[in-house]
Amino acid sequence: MKYPSMIKAYILITTYVGNLKAVLDEMRKLKNVESIAVVAGDYDIIIKAKVNSLEELMELTDQIHSIKGVKRTNTQVIEKEIEA
Amino acid sequence: MRIRKKYLFYVLAILSSLIGAAVTVIDTYISIKYEFNPWSLCLAIFIAGLVITFFLSLILSIPFGGKSIGARIDPSFKRLRMLKKEELKYHLLAGMGNAVATVGYFLIISIYQEPSTILAFFEVVILYLLMMESIAEKNAPTMAEVQASVIVTFGAIMASFSFEGEINLLGLLIVFLVLNPAWVVFSIYQRKLKIMKINGCYNDAINIRFWNLVFTTFFTAILVYFIDKENFFGAIDILKYWHLFFISMGITFFSYVLYIRALGLGKASVTQAVKAFTIIFAIPFTILASNFVPITFYESIPQLILKIMGIILVVMGVISFALTEVRAYIFIKAKTGYPINELLNNVWGVKGITSVAVVAGRYDLIAKARMRTLGKGYERIIRTLEKVKGIEWFEWETILKEWEEV
Repeated sequence: MKYPSMIKAYILITTYVGNLKAVLDEMRKLKNVESIAVVAGDYDIIIKAKVNSLEELMELTDQIHSIKGVKRTNTQVIEKEIEA
Repeated sequence: MRIRKKYLFYVLAILSSLIGAAVTVIDTYISIKYEFNPWSLCLAIFIAGLVITFFLSLILSIPFGGKSIGARIDPSFKRLRMLKKEELKYHLLAGMGNAVATVGYFLIISIYQEPSTILAFFEVVILYLLMMESIAEKNAPTMAEVQASVIVTFGAIMASFSFEGEINLLGLLIVFLVLNPAWVVFSIYQRKLKIMKINGCYNDAINIRFWNLVFTTFFTAILVYFIDKENFFGAIDILKYWHLFFISMGITFFSYVLYIRALGLGKASVTQAVKAFTIIFAIPFTILASNFVPITFYESIPQLILKIMGIILVVMGVISFALTEVRAYIFIKAKTGYPINELLNNVWGVKGITSVAVVAGRYDLIAKARMRTLGKGYERIIRTLEKVKGIEWFEWETILKEWEEV
């Protein structure tokens, strides 16, 4: 039996100042998300997404864009990964 | 469910300790009240345990509300299933480890009148696991984890030590050369089984526990037969008390399922260290059981003081485990024309890096790092990355808080 291969991606998010908590609360409701990290640096939030197709990834980024307080997203699709 | 993985890990490990503490007191009650031969008891417990685990796993396989009942305990569980070929090797080793550790434990029980003095040194198993992880795992323990492990180990020894028993070379040899190494094998291979993917999903703790019992019972039967044939058949005789063993092993089942789930989320050494909470949780159960059988949780005032000091150390050690980790993302841009696979392996080789992904987008690689402090991150990771060939530039993003799907 062949199992469908998953597409994984990092979505790097910048928010408007003062909206982080509200944006996070909305993001924790999203489906197809493996992890959500609040970071200190050029970005504010890093999401690791796990979807079945590029179309699902597009839907997810669309949902993120529609969250009030999100300024910009930058999606990096994972081609190969090594984990401990 | 998306929660902070760290919290779930501690909840599972502590809950497992709480249930484990109840079992410890039930087992003590059974051995004091019925005075079974330890070897027959050892085998009878596993035979009865296998039967009750089988029935519990079947009940947990019943679908309810779109998923199995057992999925509420471990979301990866669907139903009791046959063993997969790729699991067999690990189950053989984990089963053998559990059987040898059990035989080591019962050997001490059968030799010593007051075994808790020698058995206190079983807690050193935390340091064995730590050593194994330092040698064999990419995600090696940090200095703070080593400190916390030593604090918990010494605390647990102090809290379970008895002045009544004796310490001699034979007992120490059994603990340090049989019991502890066997338990390490058992823990490490159960963890390997939990993080293994079966049919594209993570393995579940309920099937792991059931199949581990199958192999453990098999190996224990062989060992008990060679140690004492008479007591081997004696096990069948004492199985008439099956209801007692069903209670003990039925509760043990839930303790182990939670323990195996915790193993899948954290390191074996940290899971074992948190399991030292069993000593603390055993106190109220011991007080309760003292109404029925002659047991106390302390023998003298000096032992009580030692116990309290040990408990404080265990609690402090476990708390410091939870507070000693910094994680970060590193975004890396490769030099044009540099082979990306080579760069991937170069970054993966840096100590502290727990994952690296080749990505398509603004960056070429995204790595995740784990360290004790940001200072160590600079010393160990940033300075090393600056020397890695093929990196044009990199950016560092410290993780302040993280939620993960579990």
